[in-house]
Amino acid sequence: MATSSSQPVVSVESVRKEYELGGTVTALDGVDLTFEAGSYTAVMGPSGSGKSTLLNLIGALDTPTSGDVVVAGENVAALSEAARAALRGTRIGFIFQTFNLMPRLTAVENVTLPLMFDEWDRSDRRDRAEQLLADVGLGNRLDHLPQELSGGQRQRVAIARALAADPELILADEPTGNVDTETGNEIMSLLRDANNRGNAVLLVTHERRIAEHADRVVNVTDGVIERIEQVDHDTPVAGEQR
Amino acid sequence: MKVGDGVRIAGRSLTGHKLRSALTVVGIVIGIGTVIIFASFGTSVQTDVVGEFEETAASEILVVTGDIGLEPGEGDFGGTPMPGNLDSFALPGLTTHDIGELREVDGVDAVIPRGGIDSAAAVRYEGQAEPHDVIATSPSAFPESNFLNGSSFRQGESGSAVMTEQAAAAYDANISVGDTLTLEFSDEPETVTVAGIVTQARGGLDLFGGFNAEVYVPTDPYYQEYGDTARSAAQGVDQAAYRQATLVAEPDRVTGTQDRVERYFETESDAAAVLEDGVTVQSAADIVDGIESVLDDIIRLVSGIGLLALLVGAFGIANIMLVSVTERTKEIGIMKANGARNREVMGLFLAEAVLLGLAGAVVGIPLGLAVGFGASAYAEVGFTVPYGWVLVATLMGIATGVVSGLYPAWRAARVDPIDALRYE
Ligand SMILES: Nc1ncnc2c1ncn2[C@@H]1O[C@H](COP(=O)(O)OP(=O)(O)OP(=O)(O)O)[C@@H](O)[C@H]1O
Ligand SMILES: [Mg+2]
Repeated sequence: MATSSSQPVVSVESVRKEYELGGTVTALDGVDLTFEAGSYTAVMGPSGSGKSTLLNLIGALDTPTSGDVVVAGENVAALSEAARAALRGTRIGFIFQTFNLMPRLTAVENVTLPLMFDEWDRSDRRDRAEQLLADVGLGNRLDHLPQELSGGQRQRVAIARALAADPELILADEPTGNVDTETGNEIMSLLRDANNRGNAVLLVTHERRIAEHADRVVNVTDGVIERIEQVDHDTPVAGEQR
Repeated sequence: MKVGDGVRIAGRSLTGHKLRSALTVVGIVIGIGTVIIFASFGTSVQTDVVGEFEETAASEILVVTGDIGLEPGEGDFGGTPMPGNLDSFALPGLTTHDIGELREVDGVDAVIPRGGIDSAAAVRYEGQAEPHDVIATSPSAFPESNFLNGSSFRQGESGSAVMTEQAAAAYDANISVGDTLTLEFSDEPETVTVAGIVTQARGGLDLFGGFNAEVYVPTDPYYQEYGDTARSAAQGVDQAAYRQATLVAEPDRVTGTQDRVERYFETESDAAAVLEDGVTVQSAADIVDGIESVLDDIIRLVSGIGLLALLVGAFGIANIMLVSVTERTKEIGIMKANGARNREVMGLFLAEAVLLGLAGAVVGIPLGLAVGFGASAYAEVGFTVPYGWVLVATLMGIATGVVSGLYPAWRAARVDPIDALRYE
């Protein structure tokens, strides 16, 4: 299934991540992994296995203790703080378990956030945000504050925001963790849609049922990759859940 | 991030906590309001007093015996003129000869000697005695426009006087031109007829014009008879001598004339021979400078108190901003995950602090102006908007915001996005 010659959107090489907390906690212990452009990968593992740590490194929110993380051709550790911020804003979209919307900004304004930091014009970014919210089924909730939306609606706003700058890579950390099963399925289908439009998706979960929405599942335990499996979808066309 | 977006987002954060923001602004409002109240009131008094003085006295040069320290900026209140009080601490030294010589100095239009007749204890009209000052002067002290009624006495003629309207108002009975006053001299009373009633007289340090109730008589014969004397070195005799005289200079030549007058006193005058400290020669401009510098000192002093209030306000802003940074740690993480650079985060928080400071100025300035206006109206001086101080106050508001917001904003910028996103 691995498509070929194109440069990977992410490559993780011999990455270790340690935290100093009295003693040394090794969150990642030598990880090698690549993500092709447009691929859909799930990282699965038990709690504390280092999934979020890996995702934060790939998301340029953090730098490894050793090894290299290369995102969209850039070695994250070598970038300046400003360049790393720009990378996060324009090449990567984040989706979190706890939604992480700005509480005093409306749905539209939340979606425009990365565009604002990328200095888009106000009317351009509003147009883009309205379109994206309509795509996730929130065309009638544009000017609602997060507290006026349900959990599932909030997560859909977050997905629209992650897609706003049309990044090469979408990072989703337990995106269905705080919603019911049905809403979770809707969210997974939106991620599948995004992937079908060409955005690479990296999904972190501890549930096999969710992980199997991806094309590839990377199993992590205690900071090392245990095995990598390809998922054989019954129906390879998007939108199905089983 | 564009500046406009930053200001909008910062404003949104502030309006999200209306009461908290308002209370934080109060400290700044008090500080800036205080500064503006005193600056506007002080400036109004200054403009009013100085304006009135300049109008009447722009071409006057005052000659006072002794060193009375009217130079501006000489110690804290060194510039305070003491209206009407000169007679008590200057010595008579300006002889009649000097007065005559001064009339001949190039650029001098008129010389108005002025001397109190101390032996006149009171001025009586129809049985009512008032302790008015009786002042000997010359008719040039009364420009045409100062007359409400009548005209001046004539030099060399006894029996007529000019009085100010305040002096006339002190009597229960109405005084008009032609009425007779009795000057209660220590030896024997003398009667004079009111020749004219004036608003005020030229000459003398009469800055707060209108407060003085005085009766004027011609120097000849009254001062010759009752006034002080000094020895005229030039003429070798004792003659009437004054403590002060006002010279009216040709309007365009005040400075040059002042120089020539000073030279006269340094070289050949009787006054130089009689007086140890010589004389003080000052133009209205010098005196105006003196008043201005005193009022400036006062404004600066009170503004210092306002600055103290502003300092307290600055701590208020810093405190609330630090609370805000902690509260919004998660928001900072969200912004960073969405591409916010450290300096953009810093800018957002700094913008909030500056908006608070600016809000303090926007509320405090009109408030201060309103109170200043009220105070000016109460003190019956014309109100002048102190534009310079308004600008200073605005800048102070902004500066307070910047200074108090700098550290909290720096803390915000340094928030680690991972910790922030994990923050509950
Ligand atoms: N900031 C930190 N300081 C110290 N230790 C940390 C820190 N972040 C993570 N760790 C440790 O690193 C290990 C991996 O944590 P991580 O959050 O990546 O796990 P996870 O796989 O995402 O778990 P979960 O499924 O519960 O989210 C854990 O043992 C955790 O205690
Ligand atoms: Mg995790």
